[in-house]
Amino acid sequence: MKGMLVLGCRLFVGGIFIYASLDKLGHPQAFAEAISHYRVVPYPLLHLCAHLLPVVEIVVGTALVLGIGRRGAALLAGAMTLVFMVGITSALIRNLDISCGCFNTDGGHAVGLDLLWRDTILLLLCLPPLLARDSGFGLERYFRK
Amino acid sequence: MLLAPPSSAAAGAWRPASLREAGLLMLVAFLVTGVSWFLRSDGLPLTADATGYELELAAPLIQVDQALALFDEGNYLFVDARSSVDLEFTTIPGAFFIRQDTFDDDLLEYFDFMGPDDHFILFGNGNLLPISNIATRMIERGYENVVILKGGLSAWRAAGGDISRRTGDGS
Repeated sequence: MKGMLVLGCRLFVGGIFIYASLDKLGHPQAFAEAISHYRVVPYPLLHLCAHLLPVVEIVVGTALVLGIGRRGAALLAGAMTLVFMVGITSALIRNLDISCGCFNTDGGHAVGLDLLWRDTILLLLCLPPLLARDSGFGLERYFRK
Repeated sequence: MLLAPPSSAAAGAWRPASLREAGLLMLVAFLVTGVSWFLRSDGLPLTADATGYELELAAPLIQVDQALALFDEGNYLFVDARSSVDLEFTTIPGAFFIRQDTFDDDLLEYFDFMGPDDHFILFGNGNLLPISNIATRMIERGYENVVILKGGLSAWRAAGGDISRRTGDGS
């Protein structure tokens, strides 16, 4: 039962991260623009972030779905979600009228409090795969002695 | 208990294991990023030119208090330029609906009600860029007196501006 819950969280969070990466991987320029709208990342690092973030998302998502490096993937997923939340909060405080760039680089969802709630739920769902002993079904057991 | 007890040996053990795994996954991500960037012929350069990211709007921004005053004067036409995927059923009373994906049809629909000498306040929902694009297209069609409401409908609502339900095609 515990394993099933961890498995469910892994698949859900992993699926979200994989889905979130797809549009960004195909449109790095548009994603760089979406990041630039937050006015947080220095320009010299903008393209590096636009290249790296979607790859981290798909690697973390795949690791969670397959159950490889489950705890590390959950830790990274939680850390990235926290960073997104900080970015959204910062945009809200500065009254920036921008789209979040979470799933869609073409317009997309406006930055708002609802995104913070969504990310809070995502963050909570990262905890069971990070902390539980039982990983649920996954490939991890084949990589361990 | 789903989670490992804090006092157990397992609770202490997950930290180095998860950090090690996270480090390995980041290493994989860096390698994949490097290889994919190298292989993509149309790849985005790794360093950005700042001038390419400064947002240049096609029309000046106005604050919500100015927009409220102009609304009361009644000399400005409000244009709801939110995307059709923004399925919100409220808007500023009397606003026209001009959207990027149906721009020409929307303009044609309001042809008898909008003149080149009219003054327009465009508002959106979350992103200045598409609103600026619509402003550009309106200016190109001869509607040159265009300004953009900063903060969009949410700022209008927060400032206590009148709100009505969408009617007609936009509903």
